[in-house]
Amino acid sequence: MSDKKQTYTEAIQRLEAIVATLERGGMGLDETLKLYEEGADLLRLCKTELTAAEGRLNELQLGEIEAELQTEEQ
Amino acid sequence: MTGRGEVTTGPLPIGQFVQLVKQTVIRDPLFKNQALRGEVTQWKQYASGHTYFSLRDKDGQMRAVIWKGRCAIDPSIKEGSEVVVLASLDLYIQRGEIQLNVERIEPVSILGELEKNKLLLVEQLRKEGELDRPRLVIPTLPRHIAIITGAGSAALSDMQRLIENRWPGLRRTVIGVLVQGPRATEEIVRGLAAARRLSNPSVAKKRGEPPVDLVIVGRGGGSPEDLWAFNLEPVVRAIIASPVPVVSAVGHESDILVSDLVADLRASTPSDAIERVVPVLPELYYLLDEFEERLSVASRRQIHDSKQLLSILHARLRVAPMAGLNRAKAKVLALSSRIQISTNQNLGLQATRLAHFEASLSAIHPQRVLERGYSMTQTSDGAVLSSVKGLEVGQKVILNFADGSADAEIKNTDEGEK
Repeated sequence: MSDKKQTYTEAIQRLEAIVATLERGGMGLDETLKLYEEGADLLRLCKTELTAAEGRLNELQLGEIEAELQTEEQ
Repeated sequence: MTGRGEVTTGPLPIGQFVQLVKQTVIRDPLFKNQALRGEVTQWKQYASGHTYFSLRDKDGQMRAVIWKGRCAIDPSIKEGSEVVVLASLDLYIQRGEIQLNVERIEPVSILGELEKNKLLLVEQLRKEGELDRPRLVIPTLPRHIAIITGAGSAALSDMQRLIENRWPGLRRTVIGVLVQGPRATEEIVRGLAAARRLSNPSVAKKRGEPPVDLVIVGRGGGSPEDLWAFNLEPVVRAIIASPVPVVSAVGHESDILVSDLVADLRASTPSDAIERVVPVLPELYYLLDEFEERLSVASRRQIHDSKQLLSILHARLRVAPMAGLNRAKAKVLALSSRIQISTNQNLGLQATRLAHFEASLSAIHPQRVLERGYSMTQTSDGAVLSSVKGLEVGQKVILNFADGSADAEIKNTDEGEK
């Protein structure tokens, strides 16, 4: 489950590398387009990750959560 | 009939005075909830449930009362025990005596015992290598945080407010437990167990939420005894056993608990825990927007550069055939002039050789020989005589000179000896 988080961190690192390469310049049109598309995909992935972290707020007493888990684990 | 005015001009009734004193004493914050240390004397527990005693040391003493059910009393407390009490000053009007209303009482020896056990536990954990075991990585983006703390506590509302400020709506499950008192240890351990179950993907799936990937366990500040559950082995072992990273967030900055020593991350306070594990969402979006901008600017510039390169190449391509043609023309020209030169040279050579031949030929022409004084003899029928042999006396011959000829007759012959 921590894979996802690694993906976000890795995506950010890769994005940095892509942007740095493009900013340094000097590559052909083909490579530019390929890098741009990869960067755009990574951006989409990161944004999805950010929205995925939003969700329910549960506030339960110990006994309540234990009862819930009891039924769910059966 | 005596009016109120008369009374106040005369001596003050003692009862009124004592009540006035009481009002002053109980209102003074200095006398409220003071932690006091001393020795227990005249310790008496009555059937009514109230407990009376005096707290003293070498410099002074004061009467004290623990009202029925006010607090737990450690059974080890007896005459002569060294104790710490949390008490407020009160005045017992009927007797006019000042006394301490005790809210909490702890034998000092218990605290000493606890400290000793804490040190033993730390020593044991060090030996087992738990203190320097590799820690789990705190997720960059927590998907589901479990917060184990006192339900309705100030620490919890601080944490909730901070999370909402940083990442509104971040998914979290609060597990409300007792964080002090005799049941705290057990409840914290059960809270950690519940969080572990919530981190199980199949349970999470049934609940329709992502598995818990980060646990914060803690409480706000308090006395050392209040925080003590976090120094006890069951809680410490439960933190060590957690399959997801645990943040220990107990008390104030200065409180170091055993849970802090074994957790994957130690936060100095509950608020500090939130600041260290919950990213600020707008900052994340800002970072992504910045990347987006840089990506598009850099790509556009790169594409523009490629286009420019293309147009330069195009222009060069357009003039290339002309350049080639010109080069070919120049080459043909050069070649033809070289051919001409070499042909001319050849012709000259041939002419020279011809002249040379002509000179040689003219040198050996018979006419030239005759001009130099020689003559040529022919028979009458035109044959050239080059030998005396075959000549007969009386034979007619013709002598040829350079400028004419003469007829002659052989008188005799003489074959030379030489």
